[in-house]
Amino acid sequence: MTEGLQFYEKWREAIIQCSRCGFCRAVCPIFDVSKRDLANARGKMILLKEAMEGKLSVTDGVAQALMRCTTCMNCTVNCPSGAEPDKVIKAARKEMVTIGYDNLFKAMSEGVEKYGNIYGEEQRHEWGHKKGKAPYVLFAGCVGAYREEESVAETIRLLDLLGVDFTTIDEVCCSGVLEDVGYKVKEALAQHNVREIRKTGANAMIITCPYCYRVFIEHPSYKDLGLEVKHITQFLAEVPLQVKTDKRVTYHDPCDLGRHSGIYEEPREIIRKIAPTFVEPERTRENAMCCGSGGGFRGTFPKDSLKIARNRLDRIIEETGAEILLTECPSCLHNFRNAKLRRQKIEIYNITEFIAQLYEEGASQEKQAAEG
Amino acid sequence: MKELIKIVGEENFTDALEELVPYSYDASVNVQRPNSVVWPESTEQVSQIVAFANEQKIPVVPRGSGTSLSGGVIAINGGIIIDLSRMNRILEISIEDRYALVQAGVVCDDLNGKLAKYGFTFPPDPASSSVATIGGNVGTNAGGIKGAKYGTTRDYVMGLQVVLPTGEVMNTGSRTMKCVSGYDLAKLFVGSEGTLGVVTEVTLKVNPIPRYAMTAVATYDKLEDAGNAISQTMTSGLTPSVMEILDRITLKSIKENTDIDLPDAEIMILAETDGYTREEVQAQMDVVLRILRENNPSLIKTAQDEKERLELWNARKSAYATLARISTSFVLDDVTVPVSRIPELLVGIQEIAQRHGLVVATYGHAGDGNLHPQILYDEYNAEQVEEMERVESDLFRLAISLKGTLTGEHGIGLSKADYMTLEHDVVEMDLMQRIKKTLDPNNIMNPGKMSL
Repeated sequence: MTEGLQFYEKWREAIIQCSRCGFCRAVCPIFDVSKRDLANARGKMILLKEAMEGKLSVTDGVAQALMRCTTCMNCTVNCPSGAEPDKVIKAARKEMVTIGYDNLFKAMSEGVEKYGNIYGEEQRHEWGHKKGKAPYVLFAGCVGAYREEESVAETIRLLDLLGVDFTTIDEVCCSGVLEDVGYKVKEALAQHNVREIRKTGANAMIITCPYCYRVFIEHPSYKDLGLEVKHITQFLAEVPLQVKTDKRVTYHDPCDLGRHSGIYEEPREIIRKIAPTFVEPERTRENAMCCGSGGGFRGTFPKDSLKIARNRLDRIIEETGAEILLTECPSCLHNFRNAKLRRQKIEIYNITEFIAQLYEEGASQEKQAAEG
Repeated sequence: MKELIKIVGEENFTDALEELVPYSYDASVNVQRPNSVVWPESTEQVSQIVAFANEQKIPVVPRGSGTSLSGGVIAINGGIIIDLSRMNRILEISIEDRYALVQAGVVCDDLNGKLAKYGFTFPPDPASSSVATIGGNVGTNAGGIKGAKYGTTRDYVMGLQVVLPTGEVMNTGSRTMKCVSGYDLAKLFVGSEGTLGVVTEVTLKVNPIPRYAMTAVATYDKLEDAGNAISQTMTSGLTPSVMEILDRITLKSIKENTDIDLPDAEIMILAETDGYTREEVQAQMDVVLRILRENNPSLIKTAQDEKERLELWNARKSAYATLARISTSFVLDDVTVPVSRIPELLVGIQEIAQRHGLVVATYGHAGDGNLHPQILYDEYNAEQVEEMERVESDLFRLAISLKGTLTGEHGIGLSKADYMTLEHDVVEMDLMQRIKKTLDPNNIMNPGKMSL
């Protein structure tokens, strides 16, 4: 109970900042497919307001309702009253766990500790790439290593093609996602990563997953890395590329890269270099709709998560008529690929993966020309 | 409950507490739990729900996006909330015959996005247009910034489909620009706040989008000067598409809390002209500028391009957001007076604010006399809550004494229900009661609203 009081004391102002105008309905990916008031930020801010005022007792239903958020931050960015529902909801999830309403990420939290990844995979993924000293160190993250391995393998191939001298490490889960679902970063894992990274003597770290990128930039456990942390789009934006596509290309801003990290330009700089026919979706940059996978939402509500990805994908196809959808986030990639219907002709890639394939196509064409 | 599930299906019904709590609120101060919420997907389902409710004498409250500022969608006697958000299909757009046929749950901006492809628009533009539904617009006769030139929702409703309190489905109105066939029943339902039935489909007249617009801003140190500038503009022979004002308190709040650069002034006017050709729009703007200049402005600015135009709009667009950050509790009213009485209203509002020791910032639509006094207070301070209620009471009396009305576009709902008799005499109230009783003998349709 004391903990409860402390929570509401600390977050009181943030909770009552919501003026209940309901403008978050226009930008909430969950509301967009469900049309239920509880789904969007206003609904959850009202629940917390009533809980704070003692009008509503916390139940399993309330705790579960707070999990209905992808923490995509679209409501925060567009809130006329300056409320920050993504922050409030993350804090409230921690509070729920504290007062005894654990969620399914309790098991994940234990699994992460035991296996070093969010999926409980016993075998650590090996990229077969060099390990040791190098100017750059690559960090792939759990989703890339265990669900979108082929995409990351292409990214690695691209870095090799471009002559980047980099090393991989015995990486374990950055464990940042636990902070968003009610739990805490695993210090032992963080320290393992820090040690491994420092051992390489690298000057810069290249991260493919935007979520991991945020954790390395924002979380105090990673403050002593002693090197520059770059998302792979930041790294690649400065590298000249020798390939082009004449296909119609569009781009989906991952929430963790865009709204959470402010990285909008670099991915576009890269795409403009390789794709003269680049079209933006109607809702893009700060207003890009979420793919539905973030904030523990895919884990908790897999069907709804897929529905959101399908909704976003349908609109992107309708608005842009693109043949290629690019993004640079293993979670967005994974969700979109799962959501894509057979009849939808659009191809979905991470930017780096797509560029690696363009290099390969170029090489095989050259080879054919030489043989012919 | 079983009956409702039978009608809409299990996934479109809830009586779970955590789902009912958000449906106990809107954007006003009113709060009450409904007993259940349903999300129908067809008129037929709405008809069955209402017929069932009528038989059982259970209150029914239709709801769109719940952006109401008057408590119009609060189930004050409990009952069933019918959330129409899933009835959001645009059924037909006929540019040739200049109408759009939509379901009630269609969001204004979604409709206007589709219409824009043809160069057309549904002009009423409430500030909440990114989420507000057409059904809600009809229920409150929503207006917006361009009311003086383009009117309100009422002016665009050609026909309605309504589920009557008995569950019968009525189709009324026409697809024609002119129609005087029988009583104008569609207009009776516009602004009736869901007290007479559930609107399920709306036929709306659509307008071509003006191709050009020009914007100017002027500030004044004397209210009287600004009042004269507004009256003279509105009687000059042209109708500006926008004629907005921000009072001293609003300007000061924006200046102190944002990085928007504003002069110290008693009042700011933002005017816009629009039309089919640049020359026509410029000629109108020349007249507006001449009048603004002749009335002792402390500053005048015009916009040369879209970027500057948006800059001029910045202060007006920031008003709500700034005030909502200064004070998390507020009441946003919409009293409306004849245009010539605006200076008296503004002076009166500040007298009321001082009398009760609260801050009231006022901005709004001077072109049609519809102003938005935003009363700032602390909902957790009982004394301030009382003062806020007194401010509202005095404000309504002031508006009526100036030959104005309690509400220009938000509706009466619960917030202003007690003040209906200030504006409507016994004869009128009695007729309203009789109409309500005739259509809804069991008083199931959004009971408690408009004191009916």
